Amino acid sequence: MIMNPITNRQVLDLPIRESGAKNRNRIISGGALVVALAVLTVVLPFVTSGYVIYIANLLLVFTVLSLGMHIVIGEAGQFSLSHAAFYGLGIYTAGLLNNAFGLPLILNIIAGGLVAGLCGLAIGFLSLRMRDIYLALSTFAFGEAMQWIFLNWTPVTGGPNGLNFQPAHLFGFTFLSDKAAYPVVLILALVFVAATFVIHFSTLGRSFRAVRESEIAAAAVGIDVKRVKIFAFALSAFYAGAAGGLFTTFSTFIHPESLGFHTTILVLTMVVVGGIGSVSGAIGGAIVFGLISELLRQVPSYQEVIYGGILILFMMYLPRGIFSLIGRR
Amino acid sequence: MADLIELVEVSASYGRIEALSGVSLKVSEGKVVALLGANGAGKSTTLNVISGIVPATKGDIRFRGKSIRRLGSDKIVGAGISQVPEGREVFRDMSVHENLLIGAQLRNDRAGIERDIEIMAGHFPVLSKRFKQMAGTMSGGEQQMLLIARALMARPKLLMLDEPSLGLSPLLVQQIFDIIVKLHREEKLTLLIVEQNAAVALAVSDYAYILENGEIAVEGRSADLAHDDSVRNAYLGT
Repeated sequence: MIMNPITNRQVLDLPIRESGAKNRNRIISGGALVVALAVLTVVLPFVTSGYVIYIANLLLVFTVLSLGMHIVIGEAGQFSLSHAAFYGLGIYTAGLLNNAFGLPLILNIIAGGLVAGLCGLAIGFLSLRMRDIYLALSTFAFGEAMQWIFLNWTPVTGGPNGLNFQPAHLFGFTFLSDKAAYPVVLILALVFVAATFVIHFSTLGRSFRAVRESEIAAAAVGIDVKRVKIFAFALSAFYAGAAGGLFTTFSTFIHPESLGFHTTILVLTMVVVGGIGSVSGAIGGAIVFGLISELLRQVPSYQEVIYGGILILFMMYLPRGIFSLIGRR
Repeated sequence: MADLIELVEVSASYGRIEALSGVSLKVSEGKVVALLGANGAGKSTTLNVISGIVPATKGDIRFRGKSIRRLGSDKIVGAGISQVPEGREVFRDMSVHENLLIGAQLRNDRAGIERDIEIMAGHFPVLSKRFKQMAGTMSGGEQQMLLIARALMARPKLLMLDEPSLGLSPLLVQQIFDIIVKLHREEKLTLLIVEQNAAVALAVSDYAYILENGEIAVEGRSADLAHDDSVRNAYLGT
C-alpha cells in the first residue's frame, strides 16, 4: 500500500490525538463496527462449534483486559506492565472463592476485580514516585513477582500443576460448557465496554487525559493529579481482575504459565495496534489481535516474532492504530 | 483595601537549589500587580508555590487571611485562585470546548458553565469560531487566549498569568493585554502578572515587585518604577 504523503505526515505529527469532531466520527464508525460485531456475536452460538465459542469467550475477556490497559495507558498516559498479574489475581480470587464457598459468579467477579484493584491502588502510589521507563520497569517487576507467587505458592494456587476450579454458577444455573457461559460473558463484557465509553466522555475521562497531556496544566485547572493517577491504576487493575473473574465463567483450569509478561505484551499490543487513546481502538485491537494470537497458536515458535514484527510496523507506519484509518475525515 | 493574597517570607527549593528565599508580597483586592525579573529569578516558582504545584519550604501564604500553604492544587483552584501556566500548556489533544469544560471541572452548575462558555466566546471571538478544533493545532496567540479563558472557567477571584507575552508578536501582545485589562475592569478580577516584558507589565499594573535570585530586589508603584532611572537601566533596557 502506498501511503498518501500528507496523510502519513499527519499520522506522524500527532501520535496521540483524541476527541473533538474528527474523533467523534471515529468513535461513531468504531461504534458501528462494534454493533456489527455484537450482531455477529448474538448469532454465533447457533451456527458454530464449541471451540469457536471458546475463542469468542476468550476474545471478550481480552476486550475487558484491553479496555483496562486503555484506561491506564491510553487515557491517563501511565506506563503499566503488570496487567497479567492483575488478571491472574482476578482468576485465582474468583476460582478459589468459587471452590471454597460456591458463591454466585457475579460476586466472584467483583471480588476478583476488587483484589486486583487494591493491588493496582498500591502500584498507583508507586507511580507518584517515578515515571516513564522507571515506572515501566517497576510494574514489570511487580508482574514477574506475582507470576513467581502464582507458580510457587503451591498450597493455594496449585503451583506449577495449575489450579482446577468448579464450574461457575449464577441464579441457580451452572455453566458447564462454553456455549452456556457465552451469553453471560458477552453481557458482562458489554457492560465494561459501555462503562469505558461513559468514562471517556465524563469529567473523569477528561481528567485522565489532562494528566496524560500535562501534569502542570492539569494541576493548574484544579485536578488532583496524584489522586487521578492512583485511581487510573486502581481502575485499570479492577478491569483486569474482573476479566480474570470472567475467565472462570467458561474455563475451569488456570496455569501460571499463561500469566506472564507475554500476556501483558499481548494486551499492550492490542491497545497500541487499535490506537492508543481510542476506546474503540482498544476493543478492535483486542478482537483482531486476540484472533491473530489464537491462529498463531498452531506455530508457537513464530508467535513472539510475529507479535514483535506487527508491533514495530504499527509504531512506524500507524502509531495511532488501525482505527485512525476509519473516520479520519 | 483588603489583601486578597499575601506571601510572608516564603522560601521554596528544587532539590538542593533554593529558588525562592524569604519572598514577601501582597496583592490587594481589585488591583493588578506585576512580578518582574530576569530568567530564573523565581517568578514562575512564586506562582507555582501559590498554586500549590511547588511546595513552600518556609513562610506562609494567606488567601483572604487564611493560610493556603498546605492545600493541594485542587483546593487552591477551588478557593478562587487560577493560574495561566507558562508555555502554551493547553491540552493539545482536546478540543477548545473540552479545554474550557476542563477549566470548570471543579464546578457542578451545568447551566452556569454553559453560560460562562458563552461569555468566553464573547471575550475571545477567535475561540468561538474554533470550539471543535483541537487546541494543539491553533496558533500561539490563540492558545494563549484559550489558556486565559480556561483559567477563567473556574471563576477565580485571583488570576495569575505566567508570561502571557512569551513568544508572541508585538501586535498579539497588545491584543492579549487589552483583553486582560478589559477583564480586570469588567469582571473586577484581581491580577498577578509575571512578565519579562517589563514595559508592558508596568504600563498595565498598579504595583510591581522585581525579583532577583529568588529575593524581592525592588518594589513600588508601577508608575514610579517606570520612571525610576535605576530600574529603567537595570530592567527595562533603556
